[in-house]
Amino acid sequence: MKINIYIALSILIGTISFSKAGTIHVVTTTQDTKSIAEIIGGNKVNVFAIATGYQNPHFVDPKPSYIIKLANADLFVTLGLDLESGWSPSLLTSSKNRKIQKGSDGYVDASVGVSLMQVPSSINRAEGDIHIFGNPHYWLDPLNGKVIARNICDGLAKISPENKTLFEANLKIFDDQIDLKIKTWSASMATFKGAKVIAYHNEWCYFENRFGLKIIDFMEPKPGIPPTPTQLVKIIKAVKENKIKVIITSPYFTASSSDVVAKQTGATTLILATSVGAFDSIKNYYDLFDYNIKLLTDALK
Amino acid sequence: MLKSGSIIIVCLHVFFQCYSQSDSSKIADLLLLQKIQNEMQKPTSSPQPRVAASANPNLSVIGDFRGLYRNFGHHNFDAVLHETEFSFQSVVDPYARADFFYSVKEDHATGEFSSEVEEGYLTTLSLPAHLQLRAGRFKQTLGRINPVHPHALSFVDMPDAYVNFFGEEGLKGDGASLSWLLPNHVFFQELTVEATNVAGESPSFERSKTNNFIYLAHFKNFWDLSANATLELGISGISGENRMKKITNIGAVVLTYKWKPVRYNTYKSVTFQNELYYSRAMLDSSTVNAIGFYSLLNVQIAKRTFVAGRFDYSNRPNSAQFLQQSGSLALGWLATEFQKIEIEGKYTTMNEALPENNNEKSFVQVYLRWIFVIGSHGAHVY
Repeated sequence: MKINIYIALSILIGTISFSKAGTIHVVTTTQDTKSIAEIIGGNKVNVFAIATGYQNPHFVDPKPSYIIKLANADLFVTLGLDLESGWSPSLLTSSKNRKIQKGSDGYVDASVGVSLMQVPSSINRAEGDIHIFGNPHYWLDPLNGKVIARNICDGLAKISPENKTLFEANLKIFDDQIDLKIKTWSASMATFKGAKVIAYHNEWCYFENRFGLKIIDFMEPKPGIPPTPTQLVKIIKAVKENKIKVIITSPYFTASSSDVVAKQTGATTLILATSVGAFDSIKNYYDLFDYNIKLLTDALK
Repeated sequence: MLKSGSIIIVCLHVFFQCYSQSDSSKIADLLLLQKIQNEMQKPTSSPQPRVAASANPNLSVIGDFRGLYRNFGHHNFDAVLHETEFSFQSVVDPYARADFFYSVKEDHATGEFSSEVEEGYLTTLSLPAHLQLRAGRFKQTLGRINPVHPHALSFVDMPDAYVNFFGEEGLKGDGASLSWLLPNHVFFQELTVEATNVAGESPSFERSKTNNFIYLAHFKNFWDLSANATLELGISGISGENRMKKITNIGAVVLTYKWKPVRYNTYKSVTFQNELYYSRAMLDSSTVNAIGFYSLLNVQIAKRTFVAGRFDYSNRPNSAQFLQQSGSLALGWLATEFQKIEIEGKYTTMNEALPENNNEKSFVQVYLRWIFVIGSHGAHVY
């Protein structure tokens, strides 16, 4: 009788769910931290990422359906700084899950220990959408991927100390793989060191710094402000003067203004991947750089 | 010792590679690899300090400047700083957060100023079993409009049914709210129960001189229809004392469909929102059954531009014979997340001539609103 009541209630409110006992439920804000968490956690974790790979991580809609995932999470991984400040705090509060609130063991700020770039000395919104802690797109440097992995490993070890050895071993594999891969990526990009490019939004400084590109201007006149005709004229001039071959943009920006510049100058618009899953072939964190570097080197030749 | 060993190994590697391949480009590649390896041996620079730590809460000030034109009366145009809202929001300690909103308003009809703690409440962060308690003064969990501050809505004015049933300021009170996230892994369900008094004026309810509070229950259901589309169904029941010291019961249903493509969610979206109120008010010698609803369509046509249309239909909670209907069109432009300008035109007809409308039964109103925000204003609900 009791079982029948339980089944009836479960059907009524849809609570029947199956999950492997002992699995650590991890929710990450982005696909990149999901990929790294899966590598570090191995078969001990089940990871859900809120933002898709082709979505602007600044502007994710805080849908209540994400709250269900957060309510049942053991670990929450945020890229931190103020990248997700428009949506993740409200989701966290609404999750009513005390295990993952800021300050709890189940809260991981993946940015801890990252050497930040473009940290403003003063805050003024007249400069556009500036980030008070520095540029938050730090995962686009693969060496920062190692910092993210270390933070996730520590977070997992805190809530599951019995698996610490496994997480540390997986971290070592990840670090070794990044060390190996970065040689190939850097070698591919070496020929194009100092190559001047235009970017749509100021989100490539870590990638630029690691692989020796030189972003000379942005399609947005100020971060977050859509391209204006005056800015496009300025960009067209800069592209012609500097013989720039490539304009880099992201999957979530419309291509219309980049295409105007490309048409006027003969430059190529490249939609680079800002996250894992931005395009079907990018299945994990390593693929992200494989994809972008292949695309860039082909276009810069 | 180890470092010198690695250098020797790399040098030998380079030598043998060079020996076996005389191609100069291969030598360049190997030297480059060596350079990368050396770069990676360097200690990474220590992280820069983050912005100076501060215990101050997040502060913001929101200005709501309005112009209003009406096609009747001698004084039919005015422009006022309708509201200035100050917000202070922060985590209190590991167990709770607090949110305060202080509002200073000017009535465009009378020019009178008023100020009040619009909301001030504590929200727990650490209750077990997916429970959350809110205590203080807050806007009640009724439908989609009531909990949201006006500056975040896609219309300048409030829907007629909302104003006629709950007042211009909506339903808010001092008390407690307990919400429970149901253990449903398939779709979102949340049950909220609240007990409050009435803060401010409300056509349906009055602050009781006895221990009669307003009791509210809200059941929110939310489905992801696809990656880009969602549906929300909310059902509310409210019971409280009215001006006749008797009981008014109100049932409310809200149905909202949203379409927002994940990839281009900052460029395009459609929201179709409907809210219906059914009131049963026990008055002196009779019981009045009144109804009111609005239906709104808000379409984002470009990154910064919104177009919205709304139809309103409403009785009054104390009169089922009174009928007010209106149609509105609004155009909104967002400079950034912190500044928006909206213009709205509204045509209203009603079956009773009211002195506040110059005894006109049908009339036109045009609103202009400019919202501007300084400081860090928190996110709004989806």
